[in-house]
Amino acid sequence: MRGRPLLYTSYEDEQALLPTWTKRIAVAVLLVFLVILIPFQLVPGFRFLGEGDWMTLLGLVAIFAIGALGLHILTGLGGQVSLGQAFFMGVGAYTAAALGGPSGKALLGLGLPMWVWLPAAGLVAAFVGVLVAPTAVRVRGIYLAIVTLGLVFVGQWLWINWVSLTGGSQSGRRFPNFEFRLWGEEGDPIVDLTADSVWFGVDVSGEVKTYLFLIVLLIVFAVVAKNIQRTRSGRAFMAIRDRDVAAEVMGVAEARNKALAFAISSFYAGVCGALWGSFIGLLIPESFSLFLSIQFLAILLIGGVGTVTGTLLGATFVTLLPRLVRDFTELLGDTAQGDGLFAGIADIFVSTGLDDFGLISTLPGTSPGFTVFQFNLILYGVLLIVFLVFEPLGLYGIWIRIKNYWRSWPFSY
Amino acid sequence: MKQARILVVLLAFALVAAACGSSDDTTTTAAAAATTTTAAASEETTTTEPEAEMEIATDFGVDLENGTITVGLLSDLTGFFSFLVQGVVDGYQAYVDEINANGGINGLMIELEVFDTVYQADNTVLGFNELKDQVVAFGHSVGSPQTLGIREDLEAEGILAIPLTWYSGWTDPTFNSNLIHHGTPYCLEAMNILDFLTQEVGTGLTLALATFPGDYGLDSAAGVDIATEALGIEIVLDMRGQILPGEDMTPIGEAIADSGADIVYVAADPNFTFPGIYQSAIAKGMEAVWTGAYPTYSTGYLTGEFAEEIERDFYGFAYVSPWGGDSVGVKEVRDLMASRRPDLPPFDYYSEGVLEAKILEAGLRRAYDNGDMTRAGVLAAVKSFTELDFDGLAPPESYVGTPNEQVQRSGWMVRFSAEDLAAGGSGTIIVAEDWTGPTAAAYEFNEACYFLGS
Repeated sequence: MRGRPLLYTSYEDEQALLPTWTKRIAVAVLLVFLVILIPFQLVPGFRFLGEGDWMTLLGLVAIFAIGALGLHILTGLGGQVSLGQAFFMGVGAYTAAALGGPSGKALLGLGLPMWVWLPAAGLVAAFVGVLVAPTAVRVRGIYLAIVTLGLVFVGQWLWINWVSLTGGSQSGRRFPNFEFRLWGEEGDPIVDLTADSVWFGVDVSGEVKTYLFLIVLLIVFAVVAKNIQRTRSGRAFMAIRDRDVAAEVMGVAEARNKALAFAISSFYAGVCGALWGSFIGLLIPESFSLFLSIQFLAILLIGGVGTVTGTLLGATFVTLLPRLVRDFTELLGDTAQGDGLFAGIADIFVSTGLDDFGLISTLPGTSPGFTVFQFNLILYGVLLIVFLVFEPLGLYGIWIRIKNYWRSWPFSY
Repeated sequence: MKQARILVVLLAFALVAAACGSSDDTTTTAAAAATTTTAAASEETTTTEPEAEMEIATDFGVDLENGTITVGLLSDLTGFFSFLVQGVVDGYQAYVDEINANGGINGLMIELEVFDTVYQADNTVLGFNELKDQVVAFGHSVGSPQTLGIREDLEAEGILAIPLTWYSGWTDPTFNSNLIHHGTPYCLEAMNILDFLTQEVGTGLTLALATFPGDYGLDSAAGVDIATEALGIEIVLDMRGQILPGEDMTPIGEAIADSGADIVYVAADPNFTFPGIYQSAIAKGMEAVWTGAYPTYSTGYLTGEFAEEIERDFYGFAYVSPWGGDSVGVKEVRDLMASRRPDLPPFDYYSEGVLEAKILEAGLRRAYDNGDMTRAGVLAAVKSFTELDFDGLAPPESYVGTPNEQVQRSGWMVRFSAEDLAAGGSGTIIVAEDWTGPTAAAYEFNEACYFLGS
């Protein structure tokens, strides 16, 4: 009924992925932005987003969003606290490297094409997830977190010592490229996503092509994740999250559903790891550390636990944070060079020379203060605390507040 | 919770301001580590236009209209070797400033773009990708495994990089097409050190070995294997590849002390790993000769907790002249740093930066004379030198001929001295100049001493 968007007259309408017209239009506009306007630099004022480095950054957002969606299914929907995301990413990444890497050298590699190694990365990780799942039946909450934490360290040991698979500590190995081939390693691929080319008369750079590929993958994975919430399995996960003993009593098979949650989540993580390896080009075994797992938890917490929108918001925020901090530091540095009140304030924060005091250093190694990299880590922790204490629903919660405020404006009192 | 809302809104505004703030940066940069652009100082330069008669071909990194040459540095400014690399970058920048002050490369000013890789291979790849379209060459790239990680990319893009590492693969045609070697490689360094120690200390010695994993540590280990076999030294403890940064070094140090070896050979880093190993070994009362790959050791130890012991125990092999040398080349470095960076203390690693800058300068000048300052042109120019001399700052380098002819075998045997530090030196004293041991001299160098799969 017009003017009454929250009045649903049928079950299908209520359970639809995009139940209201507002949501449908908003998502359509967003998709148009992401897929057409931004990569091809059609939005005045935001053209810089289509340039190589921002495309790289947004591609990274897409990759981390996929991994975060996996953790959302496990932790947000299923309530199983897991710190093992880095381990499953490692499993997926090194499966991809072993299957897709060049054959015959000192490192394991079979030279298989992407349509083999990418799904295989997910499937192998999912299989390992199923093996881990029975522990979730025995322990829950913080104890499960510690068990999955142990996985990360087992993984680290494995990656550092299995030199023919990973290249060894500090050296690392290259990952297969984003390119479509039918089979075999010789000759040119059918589509090489990393090379610049011309589509329908339009110059498209490698970064834009990779970005589009990743966005399409993200859309597929996000739709699946959103859809899981309204399926029988999704409802089973949520029942287990809320009270697993009661769920079992009600007829929700706990062990099977927990295994399913781990399997799906690990599939996402495995694909995320494989994409991450190929995207960056080279990863060292130390990359799959506890910090990576915590990054995903931070994405969930900052974005808003239990919602797909929140997860996507969180992934965008956390991945863009280092770049924003760096740009902000440069802005502060430029302001500090000028005159006036703002320059003085900025000068406290930034140190531009050997003797200049400042929190953040613009010349790493020569001026005092934290490097931007170190400042990122600190800000990370601060933001986690701030969000947990002041806004437990995360960015999604902030969005809900804004929406509710304007919904009843100007009568919000 | 009103305060909470205000706080969150402020944060949001700050982030929006950040995003909008520098969106018109011409040097666009990607995520990960920090980048700093250091524009070279040019005080008394006459901005001469490059000679209009000569046609200079360029592709990336050389802007004839604006008169600039952009060179990338993939440095470790906050990681394991930051203390040493910072000195290299300081020397590099000082020398480049000096070139620019004297007219640049025929009027073209060199600008350095420094990227902090934190000594990580994935960051090195990121830095490469970020800078590859802006630079004509990579003036240095820190780390053996890290530089190997971008080796194929360098070949694909046709850019040269001067490795700030002494891995023997840089003189091996399988690996070095775009890499410019300089200095004695780690495996020959090991042979030189052990030759010297055999002459100095005696025969019938035992040795304990502990190194980083990866090509840096394992290349040193390969050299130790060759030397110990030739000299009849027994390896009583082999912990190659087992020094893992971030872990506790005490078990390694104690194992070394328990082995009772006469010589301890370590290839690690001077900040995070070596101090822990050394301290736990001397805590058990160990007295031995401590040596190893030169970047493991730092004159910074002379002001630390084990200053006396390290002065007693350390013998090292330097690839370039230490600060206190008496050659024309190193005197030039001392004068350069005194005039351009009087704020900096004496340090051996400025010589390394100046050496790399000199190699780069020679390549750029020859490329200009050839009329080809494309990236391939600069690479070809550097690789055409049969003898590049540095006035005693470092042994002459050759990039033409067989690996056995090109590989560097000589350097300086050094020790630490608190007295030298107190007298205004860098803390390093030279005990043998232009040293090549018999094992190294006789070694037939045809391929890298170590590579993955060897």
